[in-house]
Amino acid sequence: MTKKKTPYQAALDDLFHYLSGFVPLTKTEFNVFLPYIEIREFEKKVKVIREGEVERYINIIARGLVRKYLPLKDNEVIVQLATEGHIIHSELSFHYRTPSGSVVETIEPTVFLSISYDSLEQLYQRYPKVERLGRLIMSDLFIKKDFRYFDQLSKSTRERFLDYIRTHPHMLQRVPQKYIASFLNIKPETFSRLKHLTRSKNT
Amino acid sequence: MIRNFDKKQPLVSIGEVETYINFIIKGLARKYFYRDKTEIITQIAREGEIISSSASFLSGTPSPYRVEALEPVTVFSISRRQLEKLYDNSVRIERLGRKIITHLVLQKEEWEHECIRMETRERFLHFVYNNPDLLQRVPQKYLASYLNMKPETFSRLKRRPQVSGPKARPASQRLALSDKKERK
Repeated sequence: MTKKKTPYQAALDDLFHYLSGFVPLTKTEFNVFLPYIEIREFEKKVKVIREGEVERYINIIARGLVRKYLPLKDNEVIVQLATEGHIIHSELSFHYRTPSGSVVETIEPTVFLSISYDSLEQLYQRYPKVERLGRLIMSDLFIKKDFRYFDQLSKSTRERFLDYIRTHPHMLQRVPQKYIASFLNIKPETFSRLKHLTRSKNT
Repeated sequence: MIRNFDKKQPLVSIGEVETYINFIIKGLARKYFYRDKTEIITQIAREGEIISSSASFLSGTPSPYRVEALEPVTVFSISRRQLEKLYDNSVRIERLGRKIITHLVLQKEEWEHECIRMETRERFLHFVYNNPDLLQRVPQKYLASYLNMKPETFSRLKRRPQVSGPKARPASQRLALSDKKERK
């Protein structure tokens, strides 16, 4: 029992630090949020949200690795690869309350700290501080999205590859290469070639 | 505060920190950056829409974009400092701010999905259907840049937009977010 609780406590501590990064927060205030947070566990390769379902949750990854992709006719395109501390969910579906066009699927066994749409609305109504928290978290997401979009448009394939490997050194070990290639919008062949290039440089 | 800009005058230049959020009362503006020496347009905004180098505004880092008047433009602008004050004084304004930023995030997400899902012709038709007014007001080369297609492609599509049945393309040729060198 206690062994099972430990990772959650660590995850909740991480969440506290994450939120404190946006607004000053006391432990007491944080504890008020706790009843609204659900802990959800998934095996690897589980679709947390499928195409056509309405997303009910915002998830922060406590442990694990998750991808979000758009299923197309004859393949899929990955739009997000997320690890510990990252937010992942089908946001268009969550906010517009419409069927999801994207799929959120675990790559590794994953634990989410999740908050449902209804709980979040209640928090916004009850605690003014949550408004600020929500605004600042959304701002942060916007900034990250804008940088990614800018990178996609402004950088060459090679630059995008090298930047990603530099800023996410552990991902190559954790994520199948084809997923990273899809996320970076680089053909798998090109990806292997680029990877080879960095190796031969090091030796 | 109300601000006026002449055609081609910048609302913010590359390297500056954006201090304002601008709501367009009259006119047109565009946001762009340079890839090598080519302008890449990422937004075209008209009356009733918000334009600013938003990520710079929110993060306080230098803007990689230039925002420029496409037509003489009148904007209602709020500075960062004013906005912070408003947020401190009213939870309702803070909620409004949260909702506007959420909207911006979702717009970005939708645009990304559209770029992945739709092939060039579909994207063109989708855009024209939703923005017939811009087709009249904005030079074609700017619209082409915004839609991330070659100007030739844009004018070809404009000449015969109702030709039927786009052939499904392999996703490796998806355009808008893709790197130019990857396209062939």
